Amino acid sequence: MRLWSELTLPKLIIKKKMQASFLNTNQIMRQVIYALVLGVGAQIYFFGLSVLIQILLGCITAVATEAIFLRLRGQAIKPSISDGSAILTAILLAISIPSIAPWWVIVLGVLFAIIFGKQIFGGLGHNPFNPAMLGYAFLLISYPLQMTQWPSEFLSITHASETIFGLSSIDGLTGATKLDYVKTQLMMGASIKEIGSISISQLWINIGFLIGGIYLLFRRVILWQIPISLLSGVVVMSSILFLMDSNHYASSIFHLLSGATMLAAFFIATDPVSASTTPLGRIIYGFLIGILIVIIRVYGGYPDAVAFAVLLLNITVPLIDFYTQPKVLGK
Amino acid sequence: MPNSNFKGGLKIENPYPSNEIDLIRIPLPDKVVLPMQQRIGNQAIPCVNIGEHVLTGQIIATIDDDRCAPVHASISGTVTAIGNHVYAHQSGLKGLCVTIESDGNDEWVDTSIGCTENYKACLPLTIYDKIRISGIVGMGGAGFPTHTKMRLAAGCKNIIINATECEPGITCDAALMEAYPTKVIRGVEVLLHITGAEKAIIAIEDDKQDSINELNKYCNNERIEIKVIPTKYTSGAEKILIKTLLGIEVPSGKFASDVDILCLNVATVVAMFDAVVENRPLISRAVTLAGSAIKEPKNLQVRLGATYDYLLSFVDLEEGSHKVTMAGLMMGINLKGTDYSVSKNTNCIFIDKAQESVVAQECIRCGMCNTVCPVELLPQQLYWFSKSENIEKAMDYNLLDCIECGCCSYVCPSNIPLVNYYQFSKALYKKQTLEKAQIEKARERFEFREMRLERNKRERAELMEAKKIALKEKMAKDKAQKEKIDAALERVNAAKIDNKEEDAS
Amino acid sequence: MINAISTLSVLALLFGLGLGYAAIRFKVKGNPLVDQIDAILPQTQCGQCDFPGCRPYAEAIANGEAEINQCPPGGQEGVDALADLLGVETLLLDEEHGETKPKRVAVVDEKVCIGCTLCIQACPVDAFVGSSKVMTQVIADECTGCDLCLPVCPVDCIDMIEIKPTIKTYVPTLKELVHA
Repeated sequence: MRLWSELTLPKLIIKKKMQASFLNTNQIMRQVIYALVLGVGAQIYFFGLSVLIQILLGCITAVATEAIFLRLRGQAIKPSISDGSAILTAILLAISIPSIAPWWVIVLGVLFAIIFGKQIFGGLGHNPFNPAMLGYAFLLISYPLQMTQWPSEFLSITHASETIFGLSSIDGLTGATKLDYVKTQLMMGASIKEIGSISISQLWINIGFLIGGIYLLFRRVILWQIPISLLSGVVVMSSILFLMDSNHYASSIFHLLSGATMLAAFFIATDPVSASTTPLGRIIYGFLIGILIVIIRVYGGYPDAVAFAVLLLNITVPLIDFYTQPKVLGK
Repeated sequence: MPNSNFKGGLKIENPYPSNEIDLIRIPLPDKVVLPMQQRIGNQAIPCVNIGEHVLTGQIIATIDDDRCAPVHASISGTVTAIGNHVYAHQSGLKGLCVTIESDGNDEWVDTSIGCTENYKACLPLTIYDKIRISGIVGMGGAGFPTHTKMRLAAGCKNIIINATECEPGITCDAALMEAYPTKVIRGVEVLLHITGAEKAIIAIEDDKQDSINELNKYCNNERIEIKVIPTKYTSGAEKILIKTLLGIEVPSGKFASDVDILCLNVATVVAMFDAVVENRPLISRAVTLAGSAIKEPKNLQVRLGATYDYLLSFVDLEEGSHKVTMAGLMMGINLKGTDYSVSKNTNCIFIDKAQESVVAQECIRCGMCNTVCPVELLPQQLYWFSKSENIEKAMDYNLLDCIECGCCSYVCPSNIPLVNYYQFSKALYKKQTLEKAQIEKARERFEFREMRLERNKRERAELMEAKKIALKEKMAKDKAQKEKIDAALERVNAAKIDNKEEDAS
Repeated sequence: MINAISTLSVLALLFGLGLGYAAIRFKVKGNPLVDQIDAILPQTQCGQCDFPGCRPYAEAIANGEAEINQCPPGGQEGVDALADLLGVETLLLDEEHGETKPKRVAVVDEKVCIGCTLCIQACPVDAFVGSSKVMTQVIADECTGCDLCLPVCPVDCIDMIEIKPTIKTYVPTLKELVHA
């Protein structure tokens, strides 16, 4: 087995000063944003440009909120904004919520995420929770109606903006996600065979995020432990349930390619600030998130469970880190 | 067979190919400034006076401690100053130095007396003393007195000669080995004889092919093995090297001598050979001069105490403001200006073009530092604890095991100077421990004093009591005595009156 | 309703018994808090805190009769350490009790000393060596820099010398190392 340090670090060339790190923090954030393009592209293809409006609204809110808060804290504004972490949070939240949600949903969500998920803890690097997921959980609990009205067909840009800004109604445009649908059908007693296969849109969106995630792995922006262990956790838990009763539990493939699984594996759970830091700790962290995602999806009250699974594991990170310290040379 | 590789560390391309820079002997400097405070031990006390003429190799300062090595004059000439001069130390503080102006003759002390070629007939104790008297200390950077190290490792089974020179950019050891391969081999033979070890391993990185060839040419002793290890930074750290070569982990807080291993830098071995066989004390060393502001890097054999400015006169220095680093790109210390002199552990001087310093950003807890630490610590945790000055927790996470190699700072995406935080915490820990000990001592002395005063008071009170009782007894005795006398007097008087009455009647 | 009241009452009774038992069974002998506070104080016994020594001050803090910021020799670090120990907010060192001076030791001017031994009697840690009509000098390693010997000397021959850091004793500050 090749050692990790050799895998990540090619022959680095020392330039004049010892600052030839392959990527600095700003570049890391930017690479993550670029890797989201394919998945977002799939969303646009199936459901129109509404998601871009959400992203735009989110980014503006994020930058404005962060700037105001930094000023209140007496910190310099430009360096913190230019590291791109607030924008990344806004984009992740914007692509997680229904793209036809009213404009104030994304604004409130981003406000909550930036203020209570990041700034009050001291800014980048100090937050214990994943800010985007905190925002998502807040929205889901406070506005369940708006958060469960997903677009069911392609919307043109004008139609989308009118919907988002409340100028026309959304009746007839919404439907449940496949996860939602499967869950309600199962509750009503139908069996898996009757419900049918994975929805095409979900499939391609997840594949888009998967490809983006693999790009990040090769670019060495994220480490392999969390995505692999998260997906393994999903597979393991869903397989156990599927093997127990294949009529009432969906298969692993379904869980892997529905909802926000791929997004979680490569973009959300890999947020370095709120994740575990030791190698073994990361594996445990990712694996438990995967298991929790399936458990909450099947037995919990909400159709998609990524946000809650991630937040719950964020709480346990100090404990995981403490018990997975590597053995020091000479001890 | 232990794995010739270790976890962590960095593969960094050497900016200056080691094979192409030969060792150049430069002319004698006009003056040398010799620091009295060596890296290990107390300050040496000069035993010469201003105006005195000294010979090359003459001892000019001694330390009371037998474990430390004295300081020698590196040129012959007149002592012109004994005073404070700034040291090549990150504090920028001044310390005592002896300045000698050269008389140009390089007159040596008598080098005919000593162990010479017949060192095998000498007792080990004699050889240790010779090494001490010759001022030999570790020349790889740590500066630990060699004779003490050898004494601690007496009876060791394995000797490791650290010729890896893993820090990128430094090539002085490679140049030394190419120039004096016989001295290296024969020096190792001296070591084998003194310690009685079974074998010696000369560890060298695979990018120094010329040095490897030279050594192989001259080595025909089957007890000496020349082991080539992959080029990787921190392969030359003592504990890492021992693990790589022999698979033995030196326990935390202990030394190589505790596991019966003697590990010496190759330049130290050459200096030791000079001392034992040629009776010449340590008065010169090889120094690498390199950096982006120097057109062609050079390895110079210089006399100790030569000033940096003198050395820089032998290279092509670009104009402009410079950043001066002593001792390597990864572990070096930044110095201001060039008004310093070469000491026993100056292995290289880097002169780089001045750059804007990079601003550190927040730690994003990415964990890159955790993956490259060769000692398998958690630099990230140490960083958070050092930042909040929580030394207790930092110690829990093995702060003192950090070898300050700089791998973590190198990979940090936020450009945080991590090693500096650990240096700070270690210094703070030392200071806190010292203060605690002083407070404890002060408290003990205070409590003893209180007790002493109490005891004095009590003894005085008892004395008073005893005196009072004695006085009372005396008074009682006196009183009893007085009563007796009174009674007697009465009787006498009564008798007298009786007599008078009898006379009258 | 009755159910609720009775349940809560029973619970209260049980917990009360438990706490009482714990208070007796796990009672700590002596007052370790005073020892812990005393271990943080610098032991200069200088009296600048308005108490006759470090131990009385420690006892006063433990009893809540004194603030934690009255000790100048301990410096702001001492105040912070006390705040940490007691789990309270840290305060700024109270300048009215004196200012924190860098570590100093006393030195007797040997030409002027008359051997009156008043300084020997004043020093709380017995850092003087000398006798009546014999010249007296300070043992530098033992001196805590409390200044108590200064006012008693009738010929004013004691000076306080600051200990400057040397290469060996130098401790860098975080600011210097990190340009923070």
